[in-house]
Amino acid sequence: MFKSVKPTLKTVALTSLVTGSVSFSAVLHAESAGIGRTVTAEEIAGWDIDVRPDGLGLPVGEGSVLDGEALYEAKCAACHGLFGEGEGRWPVLAGGKGTLAQERPTKTVGSYWPYASTLYDYIYRAMPFTAPRSLSAEETYAISAYVLYLNDLVDEEFVLSNENLASIEMPNKGGFFVDPRPDVNNPLCMENCADASTMKIQGSIGGVTPISHFVEGADGPAASHEAQHELESEMEKERLKELGVEVEEAVSASKPAELSAAAIAGKAVYEQACAACHGMGIAGAPKVGDKAAWTARNAQGMETLVSHAINGYQGNDGVMPAKGGRTDLSDEAVSNAVAFMAESSR
Amino acid sequence: MGKIIKGPTTRELMQQLATESEGMGVNDRREFLRKGIASASGLAALGMAGSLSANEAMLNPTNLPPNEPSWGRMLGHGVVEYPYGQPSKFESHVVRRTVPWLTAESISSISMTPLQDLKGIITPNGLVFERYHAGVPQINPQEHRLIIHGMVERPLIFTMEDLMRFPSVSQIKFLECPANGGMEWRGTQMEALQFTHGMLSCCEWTGVPLRVLLEEAGVKPEGKWILAEGADGAHMSRSIPIEKALDDVIVVYAQNGEMLRPEQGYPLRLVNPGWEGNTSIKWLRRLEVGDQPWYHREETSKYTDLMADGRARKFTFVQECNSVITSPCPENPITSSGLIEIEGIAWSGRGTIKRVDISFDGGVSWTPANLKGLVLEKALTRFSLVTKWDGQPWLLQARAVDDTGYVQPTLKQLREARGVESIYHKNAIHTWQVLNTGEVKNVQIS
Repeated sequence: MFKSVKPTLKTVALTSLVTGSVSFSAVLHAESAGIGRTVTAEEIAGWDIDVRPDGLGLPVGEGSVLDGEALYEAKCAACHGLFGEGEGRWPVLAGGKGTLAQERPTKTVGSYWPYASTLYDYIYRAMPFTAPRSLSAEETYAISAYVLYLNDLVDEEFVLSNENLASIEMPNKGGFFVDPRPDVNNPLCMENCADASTMKIQGSIGGVTPISHFVEGADGPAASHEAQHELESEMEKERLKELGVEVEEAVSASKPAELSAAAIAGKAVYEQACAACHGMGIAGAPKVGDKAAWTARNAQGMETLVSHAINGYQGNDGVMPAKGGRTDLSDEAVSNAVAFMAESSR
Repeated sequence: MGKIIKGPTTRELMQQLATESEGMGVNDRREFLRKGIASASGLAALGMAGSLSANEAMLNPTNLPPNEPSWGRMLGHGVVEYPYGQPSKFESHVVRRTVPWLTAESISSISMTPLQDLKGIITPNGLVFERYHAGVPQINPQEHRLIIHGMVERPLIFTMEDLMRFPSVSQIKFLECPANGGMEWRGTQMEALQFTHGMLSCCEWTGVPLRVLLEEAGVKPEGKWILAEGADGAHMSRSIPIEKALDDVIVVYAQNGEMLRPEQGYPLRLVNPGWEGNTSIKWLRRLEVGDQPWYHREETSKYTDLMADGRARKFTFVQECNSVITSPCPENPITSSGLIEIEGIAWSGRGTIKRVDISFDGGVSWTPANLKGLVLEKALTRFSLVTKWDGQPWLLQARAVDDTGYVQPTLKQLREARGVESIYHKNAIHTWQVLNTGEVKNVQIS
């Protein structure tokens, strides 16, 4: 890049740089460098997506709790849970009221966030995780309204809009104060600084971090996200069994011996690009190894599946963005990844 | 070179010998394998109690004096066979690593720098820790734009070419995630230096002072904060006070002499020297000037520090004075008695490291260490103390002091001030327990 050298360098203030002790910024302050151009209002409008607690930046629009419920269940619940309780390690959105000073605080929108504007801003700029910037303003108002509802902050008839968002009072609004550090004063002591006789040494419980790169055979329980997830779901199953709950046994995932060459090539792509959703069944994505979910899809034929994966697809349960949002991947890489997922789920 | 604490199996040794002997002449190879296997099986018979270390057993004796080594009797590869050079294959263990259970999956996650393997104060570009919230975007620099707008006289838009026309500055600054060490507020969990302190790096950053760009746009008197925003899927955004923006913030396009790596924000990022890494917005596309902060997700839900009373600190920007011993450490056990150089790194987001002291007894008494190499403001600073080790157990600690006079605190002091739920900004004195075998364990002292 940057190969095109422009022969018409404007020298304006730059010439004065070499002449004296005046700092560069002072020179520029006095006389603009003339680099860059004035940005148009249209250009700003497309990118100026931020919203502030006083409502500055909110687009005109509205969305209801009722509309938000359907949107939330389609686009958010796979990670955040139907009631905002959070699946796996995905963020918990609701509950946690009154826990901030407790042993294990639960920081949620309702228990921790100081402003409702943050909810609108964040959803609009970054959510849903697999398809950021895909929501309209109306959808964002509706989903925000529903998350407020999940936190018992509004009732089910509520309609959130640019008119009322700034006036919503969040329970923990007064819970923040400006950083007072430095907050500790450790004196510079050189001798007799601690009492060796009362010293207690606490070590690590061991086996929680992957350290096989320097201690042979001593890896932690999880060297990968997938293995960690499997471990946790096994533990959850054990817990449920103890409670007397009937537990469905999972179908084992990959069977490398039966995979085609394309599928083998697709495994790495799957792990890098697809596992975030297809590993856990997020956002309506058929989970790898879930035979039931894949039988119907396999019946459509590989051509259709690959086409959906490459071009994107709106299903009943969720949406498959084109190439899962990874448009940097080649069609062939996506096709191989589909082969891996389909063949691993027969 | 790698240091595996336990030896490899005989089978692994044989595989390695076979690999290492590739390319040798037939006779050489036969001789090499014969000797190598003999020593390998000898080792297996001796077990780890034997006098032969695993590393010694894996050596090819025909490459040792007085023999002429194999690489001195053949030709190597020529120029531009590898147009972009890579580390030696014998350094393949020097890589970023993660602890998978810390996050839900790998696209919004973190990896750590292998501090245990690094020398000096500069982190090589391929080893700088990673933190993404929506993965790494692949941005065409010719299509990348930076917009400056809001409370300014002249809202401006820049191409990368525009930005590179401004006279540049290059500065060596550390960059640290405020969650570095944050898994250990309650107790020890991590069993390696890479995981206790590896959300840390130090590079030479090249770019344009943000002050220059803001003066070009002309900040209006009521402009007190700026919002910086990324171009990635997360559109990461943070509010930064105008005083900082006009002080030492750099709009960066290069690191350690080459253009930014995609992982580090290619083609453009902020670097807020001394401040928590999250504020140094990567893939920077927009700067808006306003009269108050925005209170976005990363400065309310995240990156606020919850205290024991349930209230939380906000805008906790500074990475306070900190230090850690990098050798010995869990990954670098002591392998022989006698002379040993205790080495480590210290840093402060408030300024320059003034001194570092070492304790061998868990903080009862302290001995001053030397600062070596470059001692720069808001940069990693290397310290060293040469001593002797003869199998005695140590509770090894480092304690750094910066030029504001601030002394790195104990974990007890931090817990008393903040409780154990604040996640961020744990800059406590760290303890390595050196066992009489030379092994090093991560421990906490209370």
